Amino acid sequence: MTDHFGLMVLFSALVALVFTFLTKYGARERIRYFFFLFGAYVLISVVAGWLMYPFPF
Amino acid sequence: MTAHFPFRNILTRMETEQLPQEVPQIQTESGVLKTATACVAAALIPGLGHAFLQKWDRAIVFLVGISLMFAIGLRLQGRLFNPEFADLFSSLKFLAEAGTGILYWLCWLRGLGVGEPSAYTYDFGNVFVYVAGLLNMLVVVDAFDIAMGRKQ
Repeated sequence: MTDHFGLMVLFSALVALVFTFLTKYGARERIRYFFFLFGAYVLISVVAGWLMYPFPF
Repeated sequence: MTAHFPFRNILTRMETEQLPQEVPQIQTESGVLKTATACVAAALIPGLGHAFLQKWDRAIVFLVGISLMFAIGLRLQGRLFNPEFADLFSSLKFLAEAGTGILYWLCWLRGLGVGEPSAYTYDFGNVFVYVAGLLNMLVVVDAFDIAMGRKQ
């Protein structure tokens, strides 16, 4: 898997996993926070990429 | 005189206001030793500090998550920067990568992580390796807080 989006999703999942276990306790709270962080990372990355699309570099 | 002092009420309130609950600190000799051991263990191998503190779930997640990020970074042709301090950015990159502890030094000694700047995934690989090291630094701080009794 070497496409940009796939790597970004993998990166987001791993970082969200570590941050979740650093900051939250309890299975339910961790699951909710993991998906919140993961979704936020992916969404913000896509939006940032879309905003940077017109840049010439 | 004091009855008309304009800040009297404020001062009285400040004196009687309860301070925030103090964070319990572990200051015994064995506590300090335990904290130091946990921090050193966490800095050497991701998750080992938490395993020492018997936080098994976090230990496993940190070991697997951070090691996986590091391995993926190398697989994507990421580069392990040498411990040289010639310029600022190389030094910072080295420090970030060395945050993974033994993982970095073992791979560096074995000559892995040469890096291929022309590779399509070179930048991605570097980011994976940097972030693995930086996350492990946070894990060390977390182990410190747990050992000091500031966190569960």
